[in-house]
Amino acid sequence: MSSGVLGQYDTLHGTLDAIARLRDAGHRDIEVFSPIPSPEIEEAMDIHSSPVRVWALTGAITGCTLGVLLTAGTSLAYPLVTQGKPLVSLPPFVVFMFELTVLLTGIFGLVALLVHTRRPVINLDPAYRTSFSVDRWGIFVPVNGEGHAAAEALVRETAAVDVEVQG
Amino acid sequence: MATAEAKVPAHPTLAEANRDITRPIAMPDKRFYLVLGVAAAGLALMFGAWFYQIGAGIGVAGITHPVFWGVYITTFVFWVGIAHSGTLISAILYLFRSGWRTTINRTAEAMTIFAVMTAGLFPLIHLGRVWYFYYLMPYPSQRQIWPDFRSPLVMDVFAVSTYLTISALFWYTGLIPDFAILRDRAKGWMYKIYGAFSLGWQGTVSEWRHYRRIYLYMAGIATPLVLSVHSVVSWDFALSIVPGWHSTIFAPYFVAGAIFSGVALVITIMIPLRWAFGLEAYITENHFENMAKLVLLTSLIVGFSYGTEFFLAYYSADPIEIESFRWRAMGAYALPFWVMVFCNVVVPQALWFKKVRTSLPALFALTIFVNIGMWYERFVIIVTSLAHEYEPGGWGLYTPSWVEMSILVGSFCWFFFWFLLFSRSLPVISIAEVKEHLAHEHSHAEHGDGGDGHE
Repeated sequence: MSSGVLGQYDTLHGTLDAIARLRDAGHRDIEVFSPIPSPEIEEAMDIHSSPVRVWALTGAITGCTLGVLLTAGTSLAYPLVTQGKPLVSLPPFVVFMFELTVLLTGIFGLVALLVHTRRPVINLDPAYRTSFSVDRWGIFVPVNGEGHAAAEALVRETAAVDVEVQG
Repeated sequence: MATAEAKVPAHPTLAEANRDITRPIAMPDKRFYLVLGVAAAGLALMFGAWFYQIGAGIGVAGITHPVFWGVYITTFVFWVGIAHSGTLISAILYLFRSGWRTTINRTAEAMTIFAVMTAGLFPLIHLGRVWYFYYLMPYPSQRQIWPDFRSPLVMDVFAVSTYLTISALFWYTGLIPDFAILRDRAKGWMYKIYGAFSLGWQGTVSEWRHYRRIYLYMAGIATPLVLSVHSVVSWDFALSIVPGWHSTIFAPYFVAGAIFSGVALVITIMIPLRWAFGLEAYITENHFENMAKLVLLTSLIVGFSYGTEFFLAYYSADPIEIESFRWRAMGAYALPFWVMVFCNVVVPQALWFKKVRTSLPALFALTIFVNIGMWYERFVIIVTSLAHEYEPGGWGLYTPSWVEMSILVGSFCWFFFWFLLFSRSLPVISIAEVKEHLAHEHSHAEHGDGGDGHE
């Protein structure tokens, strides 16, 4: 993402309005930077779900299965009756299944975050500005070839407080 | 250094929130190094006593027949209890969308991690021969012997280590956007360190989208985990047949006690922290009042549990159980018992009064009483039960040795040592969450007042 127009906004409301205008004008591949988590921006960009839930579920199932294998499997591999209980005693084993379910759900979740956000990265996006971690929102409109002027004019029509043309 | 004199705006903007919350992360002054030095001295005391115990043998501790669980296990349970506040406040209140959590969750979560780190030392110290700790881990040994998965002690290893891992992941996930804020204002090698921990976070809509979901899921799984951890700790006792321990109410009783002591310590720590870092605009009296209500509620549950224990002993008509509880209140350890009742049941009743709930000096003093009382609660449960079991010939008293007391004192220094380092290197309040809250507040004000809505 190196060639395009970057607009900076000082309110969430102005950013949402700009997203709507740009998308209406056909710019559907815009990148939005926000200093805060904002479900409103996701809605404006028509994003409704995240695949990380599949990872979390996979982690949960893997953890629970691991809990069964570790407890029942090792009890059967070395059969030694203790406390007068059956070799495979579900009530105490449920604790381990639960703990491993929770553990792997959390670990898979963090991995999912890294995979889907393509992090970690060393070099930040050229469109990124440090003000985006303070109090400004940013919208980057990628432009290939001709069209910088039109995109710039469109961004200037929004509530942008600063507009830069890159590339 | 930020001090109590720092000027804080009444309604901060997003930029002011960044500035105010990151202000304490600077070159600390002499006062900080003085407090850190005291904590380091306590650490030296703890490790000195521990190494002495390792060299001389576990006999230098006061634990002996019939009381083989003493100060070490008491302190382990105490710190696990303290660890409950963070995830409770952070995860459960997040799920309930309680806005007041945003300014206290970061510190509470940090407390959780440092408290679990402290708690985790005590089973190792209690082992005596600490180098055998790996026997607790499930690993494929040459003899093919695995841990006994029916034992609550092995459950405890899994529960506490899972809790530490998930709490750390939850904490770190919440910190990623704040690491980016720190990175953007840092220079030199600090830029590289904060940059590495921020993973290259830029606040894109894609990042926030996945981040919000995974934070929600982590809160979702951490909530039952909070409840499970102290339940499992309680089963270390309840699954035995020791009179005073073998009780079905132990799990909820321990969980309520853990929340009680944990929230109390959050208040104890937050009051001086708020003053020292000048965070009055972010951590308000309302936050403390809400936490005080939680302390009052859990105090009532804990007090009810104390009464229920005695009633169950009476109603069981078991002379051993009845004698165990009579001795608990009137025997050799009556003083710790009544200290426990006074601190945990009587003192918190003052929280019925709004004046007390909104008075920070009163809250500070009251929560110190609660934490003294909660340490004594674990001491009373553990020691009085073991000292006065079935056979009179097997009865005996326990007196902690100087080694145990040194390690107990040192554990507080260990906890505060990490907490002090945290308070000077990371934001003690979640900046991203506070800014989210402020942005919505400003947005509402903008639409309601028709102002310019400057963010």
